[in-house]
Amino acid sequence: MNENVKVGGILDQLANVALVLGLLLTTASFILTFTIVPVPQSNLNVVPADQPPAEIGGLYVTNALMFSQKIFYFHMPVAVISLGILFFTALFGIMFLIKRDHRWDLNAKVATEVSLVFILMTMATGEFWTAYEWNAWWVWEPRLTTYLILTLLVIGYFILRNAVDDPERRAVFASVFGILAFIDAVVSLLITRIIPSSRHPVITREGGLEPLMVMALVVCIFGMIFLAYGIYRTRIREQRLRIRLDTIKERLED
Amino acid sequence: MESKSGANEQVVEQANIAHSILKTPSTFSQYKALLAKDIRQEFRTREMLTSMGIYALLVLIIFGVAFSQMPSSYEIMPISGGLIWALIVFTSLLGLNRSFSHEKEEGSLQGILLVPLDRAVIFLSKATSNLLFLAIVELITIPLFYFFFLSSEIVADTLWLAVIPIIVGTVGIAGIGTLLATITMSTRGKDVLLAVLFIPLSYPLLFACVSATSAAIVGDSMMMSNYISSVALAAGYDVVMILVSWLLYDYVVSA
Amino acid sequence: MDPILQEIYSTVLGGAPFVIGAYALLWVVLLVYILYISLSLKKTEKQMAALEEALREKK
Repeated sequence: MNENVKVGGILDQLANVALVLGLLLTTASFILTFTIVPVPQSNLNVVPADQPPAEIGGLYVTNALMFSQKIFYFHMPVAVISLGILFFTALFGIMFLIKRDHRWDLNAKVATEVSLVFILMTMATGEFWTAYEWNAWWVWEPRLTTYLILTLLVIGYFILRNAVDDPERRAVFASVFGILAFIDAVVSLLITRIIPSSRHPVITREGGLEPLMVMALVVCIFGMIFLAYGIYRTRIREQRLRIRLDTIKERLED
Repeated sequence: MESKSGANEQVVEQANIAHSILKTPSTFSQYKALLAKDIRQEFRTREMLTSMGIYALLVLIIFGVAFSQMPSSYEIMPISGGLIWALIVFTSLLGLNRSFSHEKEEGSLQGILLVPLDRAVIFLSKATSNLLFLAIVELITIPLFYFFFLSSEIVADTLWLAVIPIIVGTVGIAGIGTLLATITMSTRGKDVLLAVLFIPLSYPLLFACVSATSAAIVGDSMMMSNYISSVALAAGYDVVMILVSWLLYDYVVSA
Repeated sequence: MDPILQEIYSTVLGGAPFVIGAYALLWVVLLVYILYISLSLKKTEKQMAALEEALREKK
């Protein structure tokens, strides 16, 4: 295994800062979302018949979008970041194939793991939104299915890793599959955008976001990025420690 | 005189042979040789074609059982596009799983890898043979599907348009499937693993192809408006995925 | 606080369980993962300490 697996460098100290910062920012966004961010004024043309709009404080709002929309402020950042981290999986995969250094393989593995956590968070928040807005826990709607596929791809990545014993071969296969998985995720996102689908709210495209909403979103996005980085780095540190430990053990046995 | 000219000819001939041995064969002839090997092997054993064909027939029977309790006037047309693709995916999985079984069992891949040839040629030849076998099975099973499920329906005039997404989809399945079969060939639990990796990865292609195939079968003008974009997206997926597989194949097959 | 929001909170709270559920699940997933990491980190550190101890005894 590799000798130069540093532990406790400057990046590891930054990880702790990132974790704290991430927690602070996400909490701030949470508070903003429920206090000063206004509710969306619904488009009266698409109001469902069984949920007539109510006039509250001079604004026409419908049940459907009124409160459950608060989920959006966490759902969207988490979804964006899960795909963003998957990009790094692909990038680290390419780096491994070029340099053949197992550090990149470890990076890719940990990145995919963090991505899986964010994908699960996306699914959790998305499910509750679906359940309230569409009155169904699961709908075979393209964008939802895309995320299910993404989950399966990432789980498949780990199943693939477990099914190969030789570390060199495992790293190559995982890198290749990581690259394919990222491309596939992007393609399925595109396809579900272009082939028309009915119900998933595409909020930014309609230009329906007010500045305060954008602010809460941006704060949450940055918080989540810090959290993701902090977690990623901590996990890397733990894995490197384990690798060092194993090398020492092997040497002692010799 | 005669013997001398004979000897001369012999020398020339030997020189010719030596020349033809030393000259590296062109990439295309390498491709042809590898493809011919697969085809010859298949037509000798008929292993893949028979197993895929019978499996497809069994899937059709399962479809029949699944619809056995439906009311007599049910509408099968809108879902038949999806059913055709379910049939193709399951059948292709079986074929892809077997596509490297000879190479693995008899160690002939090691021999091929010793030859100084571009690894991409191995990918292209294997993908072509997979495509060929899959296409042969489809030529039999899709008319059979029509015979079993659609022959009593009034199908739209645009039915022939379903051929295009089926071709595009089959090309994509053969391309991405060949890469994944190479990966899973040397793992534990390869059969299951191929399905686990292959189905999510081919989801965008499936989605687009089902949309286009159903549109062609139903012929509804609203669905037809998606037809062209669906086929174009499926083709785009093919191009991107096959290109990436082609680039990455060297790493996978040498690992 | 936004006056419209205040009024909404006092009138219709149909979506509340769903919103609470979504946020709760989000943090549960995150916390479980963080817990998992920190536990395995502790385990590794423990093994490291045991190894050091063994080395000291050897000398």
